[in-house]
Amino acid sequence: MIRMVIDLMKVLVINAGSSSIKYQLFDMTNESVLASGRVERIGMDSSIVTHEPTGKEEVVEVKEILDHVAGVKRVIEMLTHEKYGVVKTMNEIDAVGHRIVHGGEAFKNSVIVTEEVKTEIKRLFELAPLHNPAHMMGILAVDANLPEVPQVVVFDTAFHQTMPRTSYLYAIPRTLYKKHKVRRYGFHGTSHAYVSDVAAKTLGKDLASLKMITCHIGNGGSLTAILDGKSFDTSMGMTPLEGLMMGTRSGDLDPAVVPFVMNKEDLTLNEVNSMLNKHSGLLAISGLSSDMREITDAMHENEDAKLAYDMYVYRVRKYIGSYTAAMNGLDVLVFTAGVGENSVVLRQSVCEGLTYFGIEIDEELNKIRSKEPRIISKPGSKVAVMVVPTNEELLIARDTFNLVK
Amino acid sequence: MIKKVGVIGVGTMGQGIAEMLAKNSLDVLVLENSADRLEHAMHMIEVSLDKQIEKWAITSSEKKLILSRIQPINKVDELSDCDLIIESITEDLEAKKEVFKQLDQVTDASTILASNTSSLSLTEIASVTRSPERVIGMHFIHPVSKVDLVEIVRGLKTSDETVESLKQFAEAIQKKSVMVFESPGFVTTRLICLFINEALHVLEEGVATAEDIDLAMRNGYSFKYGPFQMADHFGLDSVQAALENMFREYGDLRYRPSFTLKKMVRAGQLGVKTGVGFFKYDTDGDRSNESTRN
Repeated sequence: MIRMVIDLMKVLVINAGSSSIKYQLFDMTNESVLASGRVERIGMDSSIVTHEPTGKEEVVEVKEILDHVAGVKRVIEMLTHEKYGVVKTMNEIDAVGHRIVHGGEAFKNSVIVTEEVKTEIKRLFELAPLHNPAHMMGILAVDANLPEVPQVVVFDTAFHQTMPRTSYLYAIPRTLYKKHKVRRYGFHGTSHAYVSDVAAKTLGKDLASLKMITCHIGNGGSLTAILDGKSFDTSMGMTPLEGLMMGTRSGDLDPAVVPFVMNKEDLTLNEVNSMLNKHSGLLAISGLSSDMREITDAMHENEDAKLAYDMYVYRVRKYIGSYTAAMNGLDVLVFTAGVGENSVVLRQSVCEGLTYFGIEIDEELNKIRSKEPRIISKPGSKVAVMVVPTNEELLIARDTFNLVK
Repeated sequence: MIKKVGVIGVGTMGQGIAEMLAKNSLDVLVLENSADRLEHAMHMIEVSLDKQIEKWAITSSEKKLILSRIQPINKVDELSDCDLIIESITEDLEAKKEVFKQLDQVTDASTILASNTSSLSLTEIASVTRSPERVIGMHFIHPVSKVDLVEIVRGLKTSDETVESLKQFAEAIQKKSVMVFESPGFVTTRLICLFINEALHVLEEGVATAEDIDLAMRNGYSFKYGPFQMADHFGLDSVQAALENMFREYGDLRYRPSFTLKKMVRAGQLGVKTGVGFFKYDTDGDRSNESTRN
């Protein structure tokens, strides 16, 4: 009987936002996706549920969904629906895995949800005030709908908990670290972990033997230096604002700019936070868009778009250079996430300026569009340059499966 | 759970309250009898949001979302399905009583009825309703979006349940709340109006200029605004009305409005809203350089 459960194990992966729930149901016998979808505009008059069962037609419905409990209930109804469903009853869902943005220093790995774990996640609300409370609502909504089903939490920060102190401490009074845990945490950890693992397997090498840099470049972006198979340094900091220039985020800047601008422009804390997170980056420099596709489409006619693009590329390259120095070498450079997987021109531009390191990108291989992990450097390139499509949901499903089985 | 909130009266405070509620993802109905005033108020809310975009506080898509949550209405019975109604018409006791009488008719006992009064008696306002236990004071401070405080005022018959719901509501809209028992001017209005009135006495005695008095208090005691700029922002007529009410209620001479204040109100120099008070303001409400009195 127990073996049967393992054989048939189905894992529901949930990513709960403040007014949305994204979900995927995995069949872990072959890691296939049975269905995916999302519930949007929770708590508003007309919530939208989009349900995509694999191999069947997509269903979109507009109805009132007042909270996350009702949202998860609707997800289960969809998954078990006579027509659009992919399982017969909700008893077939054996475990639920949640994506959690911030795990602080408490969580170095994924864990099964207990009362203590919930308390700790609540304690971390102040480090991720926009995300963790929403994730918590997701956990409680599953509690309410599937009280018997074990839940697992997978943290964006966990992979980076291997960073040495030299990487994660800021050179500010240490009492701030002791009192408020002000330090670098890093984000996108699940993605960096997943693509580094796939990259090593694709190359047929042991991850621990490789010096690797993974570039997760989407609307937000971060680079991670991976040494001995572990995160050694990463570009995002205590919050996802540090590091690369992003769609609407500034990335690195002189911290003295903040009080200076607050004083000159008479800004409140909220205003300056919003300026750096929502009004900066590609959008601020181009005055056009926060979307890299629109920037690259416009940059041949629009000087500001070109400047935004050049600054963006320059910063990616600087980080690759500094991490190569930090690890004293580089074997593999991986691009992933929306922009990293799809922008041929961005990968080309980044790599063009890195020939000194022995990075030789193959223009033709770089142009190939595919959903498979692939090498895009020339056969003789000292550094293997790769594109590896990320799949955070699958890693969450795997962690959940491994902990629950 | 409070999800839908009515706001009655869309002067400066009503506008600020409606905007702040919509920013906190609540559905807001704003009621005003005159169509012109309603239109003007919606326009001013939009101007206020545009200024916040200029200051990078919000994005243009957030502005659209906020505006989409505010629905102007002109009939009181459209407020019947609100969870909470906040009255913020002028500080006129009889007018407020009339509003609460109507609200009592169109809502059932589950709706909390709040007044944004800064100095009037909640108990008296509640007395015209059949269920005074659901009547409560909710005093916000201008500019509502920026000031992290609300005074929750209990009338004599306000129920614990109503107080508890509003406490939770204040938390949900990200405001610190202080509990106040009914008393003219509560905490904030009483202290700040006395401060402004005393500054006026200092000015009348020729001790210092308005500009210097403001500078002294700003820099000397970390006030964001000095007493005169503060008065200009509140509206000199509102300051006078609050002082007169407290003077009447307490009977203490220190609440008697200064003659300079009365003179300026009679002259229509009411502060930011008329472009001139102690200082001059442009149409955006920003300070022009010169002051009108020294």
